Amino acid sequence: MSQAPMPDFSSSVKLKYVKLGYQYLVNHFLSLLLIPIMAIIAVELLRMGPEEILNVWNSLHFDIVQVLCSSFLVIFISTVYFMSKPRTIYLVDYSCYKPPVTCRVPFATFMEHSRLILKDSPKSVEFQMRILERSGLGEETCLPPAIHYIPPTPTMDEARSEAQMVIFTAMDDLFKKTGLLPKDIDILIVNCSLFSPTPSLSAMVINKYKLRSNIKSFNLSGMGCSAGLISVDLARDLLQVHPNSNAVIVSTEIITPNYYKGNERAMLLPNCLFRMGSAAILMSNRRSDRWRAKYKLCHLVRTHRGADDKSYYCVYEQEDREGKIGINLSKDLMAIAGEALKANITTIGPLVLPASEQLLFLLSLIGRKIFNLKWKPYIPDFKLAFEHFCIHAGGRAVIDELQKNLQLSGEHVEASRMTLHRFGNTSSSSLWYELCYIESKGRMRRGDRVWQIAFGSGFKCNSAVWKCNRTIKTPKDGPWSDCIDRYPVFIPEVVKL
Amino acid sequence: MPRLQEEGSGPVHGFWMSTVGSARPTETGTVHQPTGLDLAMKLHYIKSVYIYSAETTRDLTVMHVKETFFTVLDQISWITGRLRRRDSGRPFIKCNDCGTRVVESQCDLTVDEWLCAPDRSVDESLVYHQPIGPELAYSPLIYIQMTRFKCGGLAIGFSWAHIIGDPHSLSHFFNLWTRALAGEQIYFPKTSDLERCFQNPNSTGKEPVSIKRVDPVGDLWVAPSNSKMTTYSFNILSGIIWKCIAKSRGEPEPVTITIIRSDPNGLKPRVVRNSQMISSVHVDFSVAEAKLEEIVKAIGKATDERSEINKIGESDDGALDFVVYGAKLTFVDMSEVGFYDAKVKDTSPRSVYCNVQGIGDDGEVVVLPAAVEEEMVVTVTLPEDEIEKVKWELKKCGLIKALINGE
Repeated sequence: MSQAPMPDFSSSVKLKYVKLGYQYLVNHFLSLLLIPIMAIIAVELLRMGPEEILNVWNSLHFDIVQVLCSSFLVIFISTVYFMSKPRTIYLVDYSCYKPPVTCRVPFATFMEHSRLILKDSPKSVEFQMRILERSGLGEETCLPPAIHYIPPTPTMDEARSEAQMVIFTAMDDLFKKTGLLPKDIDILIVNCSLFSPTPSLSAMVINKYKLRSNIKSFNLSGMGCSAGLISVDLARDLLQVHPNSNAVIVSTEIITPNYYKGNERAMLLPNCLFRMGSAAILMSNRRSDRWRAKYKLCHLVRTHRGADDKSYYCVYEQEDREGKIGINLSKDLMAIAGEALKANITTIGPLVLPASEQLLFLLSLIGRKIFNLKWKPYIPDFKLAFEHFCIHAGGRAVIDELQKNLQLSGEHVEASRMTLHRFGNTSSSSLWYELCYIESKGRMRRGDRVWQIAFGSGFKCNSAVWKCNRTIKTPKDGPWSDCIDRYPVFIPEVVKL
Repeated sequence: MPRLQEEGSGPVHGFWMSTVGSARPTETGTVHQPTGLDLAMKLHYIKSVYIYSAETTRDLTVMHVKETFFTVLDQISWITGRLRRRDSGRPFIKCNDCGTRVVESQCDLTVDEWLCAPDRSVDESLVYHQPIGPELAYSPLIYIQMTRFKCGGLAIGFSWAHIIGDPHSLSHFFNLWTRALAGEQIYFPKTSDLERCFQNPNSTGKEPVSIKRVDPVGDLWVAPSNSKMTTYSFNILSGIIWKCIAKSRGEPEPVTITIIRSDPNGLKPRVVRNSQMISSVHVDFSVAEAKLEEIVKAIGKATDERSEINKIGESDDGALDFVVYGAKLTFVDMSEVGFYDAKVKDTSPRSVYCNVQGIGDDGEVVVLPAAVEEEMVVTVTLPEDEIEKVKWELKKCGLIKALINGE
């Protein structure tokens, strides 16, 4: 009886070793090839003896012109190489906003307010309760002060004051951490999808901190939850063009003006999931920042599925039957996210996957497409390419879907799940809260690679790959400092309210 | 939900509702079990108003006030929970951090103009009150109203469900708030359930008379009263009022009264609970004819009925409904309560008003400390048809100089 499980175990162990052996062989192919070559040369040299080597050397007849030309050629080629190499872009540091406790919204409070505001639509209240029970959010997520009123008071003033509160606090914290002086900022990018006043939020920042008049400022609005990585892409391109510069990115979403006041179910979903949050990031291309920077940007891949109608309409802002504006989320959202991710992986895979995985993928592709063999499509093992994953905490379903598609373990998606639990869906800044979680847990070592994946309306899937530049000590302050010891928590499938 | 106060008709208007709760989350599944004494008081509510002058509170913003409440409620988060019923029908509090309701309003008068009115029952419009129910699970136990006066003064009014605690608890809670506002570290000890029981060694074991069973009110916790109750107040001492009421009522005279005062052996440090001493006085002489000394002596011999009330409150596993204030003519002695210790910027409030909502038909008299030392404020709540006769008796004694309503 005990014999039956043994063969399975031993065969799976054998398979594991075979896999490891194959990976080592393919990934280190060139170095493995070099060993026998070096061995042969060494043997030859030893066989020849020192006098014979000197004879061979003298017979080569090097004259001064040849030597000079060859060295010029070498210097010229290396100069061209170094000049045309893209500048290394560093992420010096970043800071995430921690909302005050007065903004906390426990489940019970949210439901009670909902019942009072939507007292004429008990079915909508029931729907919200079911969403909240399964949302994966915790009891400490925060909404801005205006939304705490019954009914909410979303005036433009309140929206601006929320923007000031979240953005300025994050920026003050960033200045303190990095020692950056406001007048030294060369590039400023602010992204906030749903609140775009005049003057813009970037102008608001420039006004508050008295930034330079020749600053290159940009304000990205309407680009959804993936706008954070779009800002990073923009910063990278600008830092390639402008030498010796730094860029400050502010990613946030202002909740106040966008709280849906109607009772259409598909549009009530964002009310249940979106919460206050923001992040301020300092990026630089200066060589002097090489030592203190936390991360190096390796790759950034943007995929836009807007050409497909279904993808375009799946997150759509519109008026409901009563004329109230809200964001309509279609039922196909998960399927569309899966498609977008596949498109993104197709581009990023070759850039990051080790040769062993790429070879297997290629063989599987050849087998299926050319020879029409009935093989399952091979899903490359991204766990070999990255140590940490930051999946946009858009909702529990998104994280579940990606965990399944990429075959990730619970620990890989822990940062995303715990960020969703503690802070809710903070839109474009959620990736930074997740990165902060990993650092707060003391898991970030020098050389670790991080993959940030963000989804957004349009439908877009953007990924960024960072490499950790120095082992990061657990931060003393930050949004996770007072609660990191309680995490990870077990999040039940359904929380009984 | 119907409001028990008119909106916008008086000088107080503009009600913006929000919620404050505790700073940190309570562990899921935490509950608070009320004792029998707590359950006996469930149809009553304490209303209390603290009025501060403009110099003290002009710079105090709404956000500041709310932040301080978060700090205090963090220490005592069970009062922000909501009621549920067990299968047996016994109410308990689910500690789900739902919060207390806060109402912000404006008043068109200045603090001085407001305090001019000799009848302090106008303070009732500075308290936002809603009874618990009809849905227990969605009824806050505490309502806080913040009214900004024209001059910049502030009034903070509480409607506090008696099931949580007595007026001393409410005063202690607010005193802690003022200390937190001043920047002090505050600390609320946690009471174990055992410390909240009352064992009276002199317990006679018979039924308490200070409590009256009423018909089941279901989930809408409003004390049924057959007469419409009104409240008037004037400066006078208590005890004499019993005599006047007795004279005005004629037959049958109220020969049994309930005296409610603070527990002389009260737990230190203070916590939020129902711990006030509920005692009854029974005389077998005619109060209207008797000498004042005899009446006062009888009041001194009041018998503590708390353990009996606790037992009767527990009976039927807490599913029964009772009335305590007003079951018999009730005299509440709040003169020892530290209302004026609630100092903002080291200044006591200009005026503090406190009364009980949901009083039974026999009426209630509350004696409060006044802002001026050695003075007392008395609030009398009686059926509408009795109040005129009582006022006339009190005027006859020479104890009220001028009657209200401009007489």
